[in-house]
Amino acid sequence: MLDTILAILHMLIFPGGIFALAVALLFKGLDRRIAARVQRRVGPPLIQPVLDIAKLLTKETLIPKTAHRTAFIMAPVLGFTGMAVCAAFIPVSGVFDGLTNMGDLLVLFYLLPIPAIALMLGAAASSSTFGSVGFSREMLMMLAYEVPLLAVMLAVAMLVGKSTGAGAEFSLANIIAFQESNGQLGFNPVMIPAMVAYLIFLPGTLGVVPFDIPEAETEVLEGPLLEYGGPLLALYHVGSALKTFVVLGLGVALFFPGTLCDFAPVNLVWFVVKCFLLMLVAVTVVRASTGRFRIDQAFWFYVKFPTVLSLISLVLVWWM
Amino acid sequence: MSDILNKLSVRSPWLFRINAGSCNGCDVELATTACIPRYDVERFGCRYCGSPRHADIVLITGPLTARVKDKVLKVWDEIPNPKVTVAVGICPISGGVFREGYSIVGPIDRYIPVDVNVPGCPPRPQAILEGVVLAKQIWMKKLGLVEG
Repeated sequence: MLDTILAILHMLIFPGGIFALAVALLFKGLDRRIAARVQRRVGPPLIQPVLDIAKLLTKETLIPKTAHRTAFIMAPVLGFTGMAVCAAFIPVSGVFDGLTNMGDLLVLFYLLPIPAIALMLGAAASSSTFGSVGFSREMLMMLAYEVPLLAVMLAVAMLVGKSTGAGAEFSLANIIAFQESNGQLGFNPVMIPAMVAYLIFLPGTLGVVPFDIPEAETEVLEGPLLEYGGPLLALYHVGSALKTFVVLGLGVALFFPGTLCDFAPVNLVWFVVKCFLLMLVAVTVVRASTGRFRIDQAFWFYVKFPTVLSLISLVLVWWM
Repeated sequence: MSDILNKLSVRSPWLFRINAGSCNGCDVELATTACIPRYDVERFGCRYCGSPRHADIVLITGPLTARVKDKVLKVWDEIPNPKVTVAVGICPISGGVFREGYSIVGPIDRYIPVDVNVPGCPPRPQAILEGVVLAKQIWMKKLGLVEG
């Protein structure tokens, strides 16, 4: 009973809920600002994502007559809750181990596609032609980027499992404990291909510019989001901001955990800084300096590069 | 609470472009306004959005041709309230060089209430930016945040 209450508190306050939301929205603001600076623009104020959400809450919600009402309304809620739960599993080294008794890496693997599935559900429910084009594109992107993600997770789990003798170690707390004694996996030569694959996975799963094909506003009018407006759209935006936090936090946990000292607040700030650096490298700079792929190019890009890179790591780990 | 939200909301105007039979000159100006560093429209919190359902400020270009009229009105109706309409270029205001053409049914304010006119053929980016800022003030009036 106490465990359940504690888990719910973790989901609502830290590291999920309020904390994750604050960090995610700050990251989104930083992302837009830095992308603008890379393109030599001034950029919006840092609190712009908060303002956007406040704005969307004041707008009226229009639901298409032909839409499936329940599915249309529930889809953004599903995406948001999926990510809100996910955020509580993210371990912050030196501060919080993640909900170790409730889930591990595999649970995260199953929870991570929820926003994409919610997006597809919303697209299908909206009964819009552009929505269905977005649906098929989102589906294809998901097939493309889930494979490298699974291979990366397996590579990490097998490497850690080999040393502990468990075969494959899926507990995030143990993965972090292993890295504290054996050095960070991001600097391990065997794991560098997997780390690069994870970096390439990030923009795909977050749907930012070279891979924002499902929501391309110039081609399919934001595809699945076309019919959404007002508070429902705000929920989608909050959900995608939370997803940014989750995948960055997962990347830090898998490849660059570690503490600066024994003082928890310092470690917390260090974690946020590491997440930010990961976002800067894998998302912001890439987003600001590239154009959009076509869907077939993006699909083959994911099949060729991150999948092969992550499989190299997997084979090396298995072989050594 | 809703007052605070309203005050915050006017700092995030999302723009939507409707081409009502324009020659594309004004559309190029609109794209320039957003894209090139000097006139960056994102610093006002603006963002071009692809869907009319996300829009707050509508920028209409072109003289409203007979063929496109119904579609423009339909798209304009899709935009959730409160919305502000800006006519960009001389065409939606008077018809411009296409005035009295057989295929022109504009000016646009015969059919939809226009809040801001930005004349020019095409208007300068600075003028478009000023139009957007004016539209923001009109939005505030519509929300009852300022007297007027």
